[in-house]
Amino acid sequence: MSTTSTTGTPPLLSIEDLQARVEGKEILKGVTLTVAAGEVHAIMGPNGSGKSTLAHVLAGRPGYTVTAGSVRYQGRDLLALAPEERAREGVFLGFQYPVEIPGVNNVYLLKAALNAARKQRGLPEVDAFDFLSLVREKMKLMRMDESLLSRGVNEGFSGGERKRNEVLQMLVLEPKLAILDETDSGLDIDALKVVAGGVNSLRSPQRSCVLVTHYQRLLEYVVPDFVHVLVRGRIARSGDRTLARELEQRGYDFIAGEAA
Amino acid sequence: MNTSAKTSVSTPAAAPLIQRLLEEYAGFARTLGPADGATARRRAAIAAIAQTGLPSTREENWRYANLRPLERQRFTPPGAASTAAAPTLPANLAEFARYVFIDGLLSAGASAALDASRAKLTLHDEAAGESGGIGAGLATGDGEAAQSQRFALLNDAFATGGLAIRVPAGTTPVRLELLFLASAEAATGTSYPRLQISLDPGASLVLIERHLSAAAAASFVASAVNVELGREAILEHYRLQDLNGRCILFDTLSAQLAQEAQYRLHAIGSGALSSRSTVVVRLAGERAQLTLAVAALGERTQVQDTFARVEHAAPRARTVETFRGIAADRSRVAFNGKVVVGNGAAGTDSQQSLRGLLAGPEAEIDVRPQLEIYTDDVRCSHGATAGKLDDNMLFYLLSRGLSQETAQRLLKWAFLEDVVAQIALPALRRQIEERLAAGLRDDALRELL
Repeated sequence: MSTTSTTGTPPLLSIEDLQARVEGKEILKGVTLTVAAGEVHAIMGPNGSGKSTLAHVLAGRPGYTVTAGSVRYQGRDLLALAPEERAREGVFLGFQYPVEIPGVNNVYLLKAALNAARKQRGLPEVDAFDFLSLVREKMKLMRMDESLLSRGVNEGFSGGERKRNEVLQMLVLEPKLAILDETDSGLDIDALKVVAGGVNSLRSPQRSCVLVTHYQRLLEYVVPDFVHVLVRGRIARSGDRTLARELEQRGYDFIAGEAA
Repeated sequence: MNTSAKTSVSTPAAAPLIQRLLEEYAGFARTLGPADGATARRRAAIAAIAQTGLPSTREENWRYANLRPLERQRFTPPGAASTAAAPTLPANLAEFARYVFIDGLLSAGASAALDASRAKLTLHDEAAGESGGIGAGLATGDGEAAQSQRFALLNDAFATGGLAIRVPAGTTPVRLELLFLASAEAATGTSYPRLQISLDPGASLVLIERHLSAAAAASFVASAVNVELGREAILEHYRLQDLNGRCILFDTLSAQLAQEAQYRLHAIGSGALSSRSTVVVRLAGERAQLTLAVAALGERTQVQDTFARVEHAAPRARTVETFRGIAADRSRVAFNGKVVVGNGAAGTDSQQSLRGLLAGPEAEIDVRPQLEIYTDDVRCSHGATAGKLDDNMLFYLLSRGLSQETAQRLLKWAFLEDVVAQIALPALRRQIEERLAAGLRDDALRELL
């Protein structure tokens, strides 16, 4: 179960009564969530409920101020770590709107990111040949054109290409905790399947995934262990995958009504 | 707005400086003797200086350049350079003839000569009696173009050497690299690089012009370059300024383009304590094309100041101007890009993209596009921004595990890319990238190159 530890080791991620504000506005009003290693959790909820804020707070985005509560990751205080330290410790945020960075080469970023994580683990820098074959293999899985590698980060990428690029980075970095912020939005059905395939390929007893999504469509392909509904900054309801289907049929209003 | 406020010799601050300059010139002229081939040019220049004075920081167009060293420096050329310490020169580029000048004079033994059948090269040593000299091609009168070129008058008056190159029409471009090394202390004398480039109709030249220090000296350099492009001539010109951090540079480049001539001018400045570059280009022929791409890096207390004045004097000419400047620490980086479209220049197409990046709390960035249009039927666009690193980009890189420092350097690097990417010579581009990576103090970047 996600809420109890059977082996005595702490859960991968443990969020307690998390409250946060953005630009002076209270967005998260007490989120409690526990994610054990190997689990996939879906966070759903209407627009403005705080889903993206939660994702960004976990990644450490400046301007997102935690006002109360705690987040423990692998038994450590996650909030005390700088964004780059969180990344090196295995936290990955897949952005809803990945930014375009012309002039910073895609493959360079991949390599620098991988080496930063390896350094943290006491590993030597990745061998150039091994690195390229790894990237090629993952690109194939994501059905991405190799020419995208030599471009600037997301430079001139379509919306779908950007999302695939996020998942590609995730596959190369192999994070312990992947937080995907509406990675499914704006994707057609074929792209959605590719992205889902990428996420599924990473599932293992050691890795966890938090999927932030507005629709249950993605959850047909990446089957979550738990589904949580965030309403007005709090988790209003938790359940298994059937909750997602119920939401699809009845909309968010019925839960919003319950939570009010 | 009229930015060319006249400076009179009688202004209290300028008067002692000009007085000293005139006296020094008189002494210098006596040493030249009757063999000097450029007497007329010198006299005209010194008369013009006496009349207009040198720029002062009170002039809008000169407020960034560091003019204080003028008060301490000696204007006379330093004479034969001491060749005691041979500096490490940049690696030779394949197929480029190379000439090395020290304090404006050709240094024998350090050069790979150009095939004489490909271009006519005249190396001047005017003091030794060669006649003709090198014309500066300066604008005359008291207009803005002339006012902005006053430092070239110093070069006109005092330079005793230089190089003139004339390229005839040809199918393959002539490749030439010129290294101007500054070695003398400013108190000993001023370095006067001097260059006249003429391309015949249909001629083609790739020119690399480097300004470097040969020593740790605080040199004063006043360079003058004149470019004449004949009909359909093509000049690809790379100017790399990497003087040591104690040097003062005043550089003046003037160019004139005939019909359908193409001038691609790439300037990258990262050196000197204070560098002021004045670029005055006249698109005199129909459908002439200018590409001006400038990158400037300032750190510590450096000043990197560029004034570019482009005049469209004929129909359907085109200008594409790009500036990227980064000011770190307490440096000041400025680019003033003025485009003047004359009344005979219908169908002008001019684009300016000027961007400055502020990378230090006490740094200063000033990017100014200016347009003066005296005709209808033109397409002139300009964009100018000055700001800090983009927070979203920065967070994205951090979220991938890159350190703050690496992320910032990477974004600075990316910022310059719009200019660096335009360098069409791979070997040169690599040299420049290595230099810039060093300038951004980034080993990680160097590794990726």
